[in-house]
Amino acid sequence: MPATGCGIGLRAPHVAELVERRPAVGWLEVHAENYMGGGPAIRTLLALRHDYPISLHGVGLSLGSPDDGNDRHLERLARLVERVEPVLISEHLAWSVADGRYLNHLLPLPYTPEALALLIDRIARVQDRLGRRLLVENPSGYLRFRESPIPEAEFLDELARRTGCGLLCDVNNIYVTCANLGGSAEQWLDALTPSAVAEIHLAGHVVNDADGTRLLIDDHGSAVTDDVWRLYERALGRFGAVPTLVEWDTELPALDVLLAEADKAQRRLAAANADAAAA
Amino acid sequence: MPPLRELERRFAAALLDGDERAVVCDIEPDAPGASARLAVYRHHVLASLTAALASTFPVVRRLVDPRFFGWLADRYLHAHPPTSPCLFELGHDFADFVAAFPACAGLPWLPDVARLEWAMNQALHADDIDALDAASLAALTPSGIGALVVRLHPSVTLLASRWPVDAIWRANRDGAVEAGAVGLDSGGVRLEIRRSGDDVVLRALPHGTFALRVALAGHSPLEAAFEAALAADPLLDVTAEMRALLDERLLVRPLASSC
Repeated sequence: MPATGCGIGLRAPHVAELVERRPAVGWLEVHAENYMGGGPAIRTLLALRHDYPISLHGVGLSLGSPDDGNDRHLERLARLVERVEPVLISEHLAWSVADGRYLNHLLPLPYTPEALALLIDRIARVQDRLGRRLLVENPSGYLRFRESPIPEAEFLDELARRTGCGLLCDVNNIYVTCANLGGSAEQWLDALTPSAVAEIHLAGHVVNDADGTRLLIDDHGSAVTDDVWRLYERALGRFGAVPTLVEWDTELPALDVLLAEADKAQRRLAAANADAAAA
Repeated sequence: MPPLRELERRFAAALLDGDERAVVCDIEPDAPGASARLAVYRHHVLASLTAALASTFPVVRRLVDPRFFGWLADRYLHAHPPTSPCLFELGHDFADFVAAFPACAGLPWLPDVARLEWAMNQALHADDIDALDAASLAALTPSGIGALVVRLHPSVTLLASRWPVDAIWRANRDGAVEAGAVGLDSGGVRLEIRRSGDDVVLRALPHGTFALRVALAGHSPLEAAFEAALAADPLLDVTAEMRALLDERLLVRPLASSC
């Protein structure tokens, strides 16, 4: 069962209703770290995988950490991958661990040759251990390092070229990053090699006023905005009908609201398929 | 700019320890400024970790009120930053921190409420391990059962408290119906918290049963565990107790090193 069409990020408050109703949705993505224990969480996921393709989305590998203390976490991920047999496995272009302290956030990297070499090494090791292709997601950015000479999209494209990893293109994150740090979201998208893009994420963001300056915060707490839908349509035009996920994490709405948001993406995916067939 | 390892160390210090001096010089000062931009990250780190603690300790949060809990969580997270990306593992030493936190000194039963909530979290998330049945237990003991060391299932916690923490928890959990006041002087309790199917089960145990299970949880050989249980309750039927442990699927194979 490959992941096709639009899926939803499965969050704990929706699990019971989803198990009960089994709604028509293309696939499910879960945060890998929530399923690394025993008990009802993993049991339910192993039951759902018979009805839905499952994508494991990691938030804890800290690919951008030079510390090698993350091998234990990679082993836990590998065991989970063996049990769940996910159709997609993804992580982030970010770091979250320093000196053994885990910060529970996707923290920014300077895009330097040093970071590129590190990421190439880490991604290759993860793919070797899992025996699978990893997808790497662009983060939301709130600051720029003074020394960061490689544009983010080029950095990701180079990772894909050098390691064979796929790219998880988060369209909302592109929009947020470009709004916060400057730059054109369209040019960002156009810099990726289309064949490397294996998944797209969509989510909502919030506008925050920080000392009179507008900053967008990627809080996954609302509907996808019109600007992000337009950017998504451009992405589909460039990358084709790539499996797409709608994420909603804070201010979690009723399951039906999330499914309706996924339907909006599904209609655009169908249109992209029709365009490709006509071409 | 320093090497990446050092840059990340400084960045983490700016978020967790509030010391931005070493990292702001490496961040573009775009409006609203490096400090305000770092604050976006800092806010998410503390808010998301506090939310994770609140979801593991909802009754502690309710008992101290959410604003106090926010401060308590902030102090705890600075003193004991998480080490695991699995948030269900965050808070293993929160009860000890609460016990030593001066502002909580007036609530002497609060640490045991935290221990109870941690035990429930453990019960929910502990690894799935196959339980021993009577036949496999017998097969482990060719030369007599007395020296055998078994383990209790990792979902089990045995919690003794001088406070009625089960009553405190029941009266303050989410959705609790209005109950009468909990009598804090109503005496201590011996509790067992474990997973049964998909549910977390909390119950009070008789003294002898509790003593036996505590001894087994402490890796006592069976003979010594029986002695400890009989010291607590000379009339305890240890055969029936062992049968109950097997029926409840709480005994698991000993670790190789303890055979």
